[in-house]
Amino acid sequence: MAAVSFRQVEKTFGSTSVIHGISFDIADGEFTVLVGPSGCGKSTLLRMLAGLEEITAGTIAIDGKVVNDVESKDRDIAMVFQSYALYPHMTVAENMGFSLRLRKADPKLTADRVAQAAKILNLESYLQRYPRELSGGQRQRVAMGRAIVRDPKVFLFDEPLSNLDAKLRVAMRAEIKALHQRLKTTTVYVTHDQVEAMTMADRIVVMHDGRIEQIGTPLELYDHPANLFVAQFIGSPAMNVVEGRVRVREGAGWVEADGGARWPLPSTEGLSDGQAVAYGVRPEHLALARGEAPVTAEVIVVEPTGAETELLVEAGAAQILVVCHGRTEARPGDRIGLDVDRAAVHLFDPASGQALTGLHERATAAAA
Amino acid sequence: MSGTRRWTRRRILDEGRLILIAIPVLLWTLIPIYHLFLFSISSKDSATSGRLWPKEPTLQNFDFVFGEKHFYLNHFWLQLWNSLLIAVAVGAISLFVATAAAFAISRLKVRGGRTVMNLALFTYFIPAAFLAVPMYKTMGNYGILNSQWALILAMVTIASPYCIWVLKQAADKLPWELDEAARIDGASPLQLFRLVFLPLMVPSLVAVGTYALLLAWNEYLYAFLLLSNDRSFTLSVALGAFLSADDSPWELLMATGLIYALPPAAIYYAFRRYMVGGLTAGAVKS
Repeated sequence: MAAVSFRQVEKTFGSTSVIHGISFDIADGEFTVLVGPSGCGKSTLLRMLAGLEEITAGTIAIDGKVVNDVESKDRDIAMVFQSYALYPHMTVAENMGFSLRLRKADPKLTADRVAQAAKILNLESYLQRYPRELSGGQRQRVAMGRAIVRDPKVFLFDEPLSNLDAKLRVAMRAEIKALHQRLKTTTVYVTHDQVEAMTMADRIVVMHDGRIEQIGTPLELYDHPANLFVAQFIGSPAMNVVEGRVRVREGAGWVEADGGARWPLPSTEGLSDGQAVAYGVRPEHLALARGEAPVTAEVIVVEPTGAETELLVEAGAAQILVVCHGRTEARPGDRIGLDVDRAAVHLFDPASGQALTGLHERATAAAA
Repeated sequence: MSGTRRWTRRRILDEGRLILIAIPVLLWTLIPIYHLFLFSISSKDSATSGRLWPKEPTLQNFDFVFGEKHFYLNHFWLQLWNSLLIAVAVGAISLFVATAAAFAISRLKVRGGRTVMNLALFTYFIPAAFLAVPMYKTMGNYGILNSQWALILAMVTIASPYCIWVLKQAADKLPWELDEAARIDGASPLQLFRLVFLPLMVPSLVAVGTYALLLAWNEYLYAFLLLSNDRSFTLSVALGAFLSADDSPWELLMATGLIYALPPAAIYYAFRRYMVGGLTAGAVKS
């Protein structure tokens, strides 16, 4: 069992507090992604787990044992760094076997483990090469191989794909995921790229300014963001958010935004007339309307990406992004109508950013 | 023809200017060495004749030197050996001290490390000549005044601050992640030093070791001061003895000087690749 748990973990550098009381658990074998913008503290949290940073307050436990005062090498973890951190003066085989060599392990055992890891990662023909003779993707795999050879309880990844080009990143994502499915080792993965988080994670921990914004499976975060930050961070392109006031007239309700645009609501349960809200709807849940539409807008930019078309439109005073399948005949300057998938509407309190809960449940109940 | 750049008037002026400066500098550097060579292959009478090439060039002077056939050269081989011994010892000990210090200051980030290094560098404000007499007294206090250890330790003291500084700058350039990866892999500081740090520092180590070695090889003042026995002198001191009389055999002096200059030239040439890289590795902070 290699569960990890954080309890009220805090970190200060000098007088600056960067992590404020973080608590959560990672189950054995789970692939957990820490995601958030630069400076949110995710790398610092990972490094505290690795033992590379002191823990100012709180506890971190691996496999039930508190490791605050345990040296990195005794925590039974392995880490893959953003810059690979391969020893330039050692061959691939030596790099991968270094940890065993330090422990004065039997050379045969070392060679076996290295060969095994090399087989899993397709590095067999590169074992005698030096890091400078390898491409970025190959180096990253050597770094992973070094971690695998250690057979640790927890794998730590610190933005390992950031230095790779886009195409390679996609390929390596799949490789890492496949590796996890094969080895089933608990993995903690740090990235600022929400696409990586969404595609690889069993659970995502969204962090912001040293705090956890929300924890959940990728689809949970996508379908039910708990606050504005998560709503706009998860999902690409980002969710459209419009500020406005709820209007309830004769049982029908909508959100009136600046400029007069009327955004449809699934129901008015729990909402009061005049209530200020932030109305959120993802670009993929908007569609160009045929005929009458609740919202009218003017097309500003049309960006075909091949399979989809992204349109930047102006509805009232707000700029809205719409993503539709296939091609469209809309051109810049056209006036179009927007259809909104009412089931995918999110409302947030503009002051606190928190999601107004129960919206969809009430809508479903009202429709039934 | 170098490249496709045309010989524009501007380029001719630039190159001309450089040549105008380069030629005097080259002559300035080479003429004394040529002079040295000239004397060493001349016989005693024709040495000062003013000719560019001796009438009868001879290797007889070298025979005198290698055969120890003159009063001043009685212990030539022993003194050459002393020079070598002391230079290598200084090089090795300075290297050891500087490497360990640089590792501690740069990688282990010992508290006060930078202060110690700055204090060491600060000693360079005092000219070595000023320190000669205090050094003499100190060595006397330790009771090693007539042994070669006095000179070795004195030279190590003089060479170390610079060596530490150069190695520290070079060490700073090694990526931090390597240390972290090694720590996670399970390396103790000593293992980190031996298996990761040293192999990656080789160019700088060669440069610094060579610097210390050549510093000791060329040293005259401290060697003269701290050694008092013909048999423990270095060859540089023996060369100095030649200047004590008016009718010294100049041609023998020059021949010995030429011989003495060869090992450093050879060492420097052998390690020339490391010298520039190794010493400039820390020169520009990036």
